[in-house]
Amino acid sequence: MASSVISPAPTSSFINNKKDLGSFCFSSTSQFSVNKCKKSAVSKKIVSVMAPQQSERRPATTGSVKNAMTLTEKIFSRASEKPQLSPGDNVWVNVDILMTHDVCGPGSFGIFKKEFGENAKVWDREKIVIIPDHYIFTSDERANRNVDILRDFCMEQNIKYFYDIKDLGNFKANPDYKGVCHIALAQEGHCRPGEVLLGTDSHTCTAGAFGQFATGIGNTDAGFVLGTGKVLLKVPPTLRFVLDGEMPDYLLAKDLILQIIGEISVAGATYKSMEFVGTTVERLSMEERMTLCNMVVEAGGKNGVVPADGTTFKYLEDKTSLPYEPVYSDEKASFLSEYRFDISKLEPLVAKPHSPDNRALARECKDVKIDRVYIGSCTGGKTEDFLAAAKVFLASGKKVKVPTFLVPATQKVWMDVYTLPVPGSGGKTCSQIFEEAGCDTPASPSCGACLGGPKDTYARMNEPMVCVSTTNRNFPGRMGHKEGQIYLASPYTAAASALTGYVTDPREFLE
Amino acid sequence: MVTASSISFGANSTFTSSSIPKTKPLFNIIPHSLKFTTGNGRAAVTFQRPVSVIPKATSADSRATKEPSRTFHGLCYVVGDNIDTDQIIPAEYLTLVPSNPDEYEKLGSYALIGLPATYTTRFIDENETKTKYKIIIAGGNFGCGSSREHAPVALGAAGCSAVVAESYARIFFRNSVATGEIYPLESEARLCEECSTGDVVTIEMAERRLINHTTGKEYKLKPIGDLGPVIDAGGIFAYARKTGMIASRN
Repeated sequence: MASSVISPAPTSSFINNKKDLGSFCFSSTSQFSVNKCKKSAVSKKIVSVMAPQQSERRPATTGSVKNAMTLTEKIFSRASEKPQLSPGDNVWVNVDILMTHDVCGPGSFGIFKKEFGENAKVWDREKIVIIPDHYIFTSDERANRNVDILRDFCMEQNIKYFYDIKDLGNFKANPDYKGVCHIALAQEGHCRPGEVLLGTDSHTCTAGAFGQFATGIGNTDAGFVLGTGKVLLKVPPTLRFVLDGEMPDYLLAKDLILQIIGEISVAGATYKSMEFVGTTVERLSMEERMTLCNMVVEAGGKNGVVPADGTTFKYLEDKTSLPYEPVYSDEKASFLSEYRFDISKLEPLVAKPHSPDNRALARECKDVKIDRVYIGSCTGGKTEDFLAAAKVFLASGKKVKVPTFLVPATQKVWMDVYTLPVPGSGGKTCSQIFEEAGCDTPASPSCGACLGGPKDTYARMNEPMVCVSTTNRNFPGRMGHKEGQIYLASPYTAAASALTGYVTDPREFLE
Repeated sequence: MVTASSISFGANSTFTSSSIPKTKPLFNIIPHSLKFTTGNGRAAVTFQRPVSVIPKATSADSRATKEPSRTFHGLCYVVGDNIDTDQIIPAEYLTLVPSNPDEYEKLGSYALIGLPATYTTRFIDENETKTKYKIIIAGGNFGCGSSREHAPVALGAAGCSAVVAESYARIFFRNSVATGEIYPLESEARLCEECSTGDVVTIEMAERRLINHTTGKEYKLKPIGDLGPVIDAGGIFAYARKTGMIASRN
């Protein structure tokens, strides 16, 4: 039963009276109703749409009497075997899946061995997924060595899921290799509603798209989980984001999350869960939901969730045979705040240098000359992201004006780029359209230049330049050079910008 | 302070339950089980700083006996808001594995090398591998971005003892506590606007205050909060052993 469209009860403190201007702005010129809760910034229109929920001291309940809980709280409750808990409680939680990759795996294994002994065995060889993806196609010796360290550990521990790569010159020669961990986790069926998934990577929150609790941890925590299958976590309160309205055909989930991050700032969701509901969300595909949840960490969020529904179950049908039990927020669950957005009024956005919350309308940046475009990463390198970019190139029929780098997230995405027909193209594949548009040849799947990486990483920014990117962060030096300027954008906006050589609103080509 | 009472143990027989000690700061020396050692158990000799629970007094022997308070003393390095993990340790250095002692040291030498040119004073001088700034003072959301543990590790390996920030990003704070590499403290005021790089400061944990000797001003620090028991125990492993969550080591 999907309870993702929960109308606030009339008695709730959600304000729906336009005249109540003291509480929020709902003018006709604003595109969305907004609720800002910046704690320290001085601003005139910053109040809660909903009265702040005070955390109450609830008397202990007995038997099966339960208080209403949010989706995330319910996952914590089940995973910690505590029928009752509240935000702020620190609980030991059973972990369903632990993921690590080539950058953090070696360090995590080192800690595991040091703490549990050289001959210690992992808590469950089937619940650990090891995915080399960050620094793969490089001649950096340490990077290559790190993949070897992963392999040694996996062989010694008989890890069931190790997506190995040995032949760096030809990614296709590696049958097990997948690519970007968060996409591989989804594609390989490791993401399931109601479960707890931890990864040694901040974008582990991507998996929340499946209605599970997923968050990033460090090496030490991972070492601990490797040995025990448990982790000490604080129950987060939940911020609820209700996205309603028909999504215009020039918008993508990336625009939605940039909108939200711009609204609440890079620390707006620190230690909190972000729950995404509403008619817009329900109509998002799984990959779009992944994009939405992927950047939750950019707002400081602990995790993001989209309640599981028919779309989720359909996606999982051919991917996992393990049973799962989705959970949903109770109608009377307490949320810290609720934000409502009318998506039909949104316009394509970018995040300007040097922060993911430095939000601006794409059309207002049309005078920004750019040097390159990067389409890739867990945020914007999935199959649908490439289909979206192809759609813009197809609509234009012209060639790109700047080097345009394409890095499919996984082998499967790479295959899709080369085989899936693009709607309206008369049977052309993405790769053909990209070639005709003059883009670079799609590269070997990995994290690529999203985070810079070793100096010989494909598409790394080794000189100061301006880049429009479908990635997730644009802090100084993110893609390599400290003076590089990165504009975060959706695949539509990135493709449009490639065609003009300036930051460009995709409506230039899509309408 | 919270949560001693909310720790529960599953039915799994691997874990033994035990009565949970009242949480209060422990002032004894607790061997820091998370300090990096080489494979044969020998502690890396280049560690300059004792573990976070050992008082860092200005007296000669900082590996002191039981003392009622912890202090940090030294020069401070001031940064602004939203210092993300890419600035603390750029991604190209993440091929270094923190649990490997040599690479641990190398990581330290790159701490804060990602700061833009607007920071005219480097955190680590050129041709040096350690910092002269024991304390970092920061604005809001310190450590935002990646979950890379290399970030607090690099700071600790460089010789930083504590960070006093207006606020932290979640994963960075957690990693600081889990590793014990740096003590993550929160200030009540915006100290990054009050202090300058090079000021001499003292942090007194028990009094919860920071004294800037150069300006003569004092500032209040926030209580350490929920993770106090974990920090006091010496990190997540020590805490888990102390509370009976995992077996003690022999």
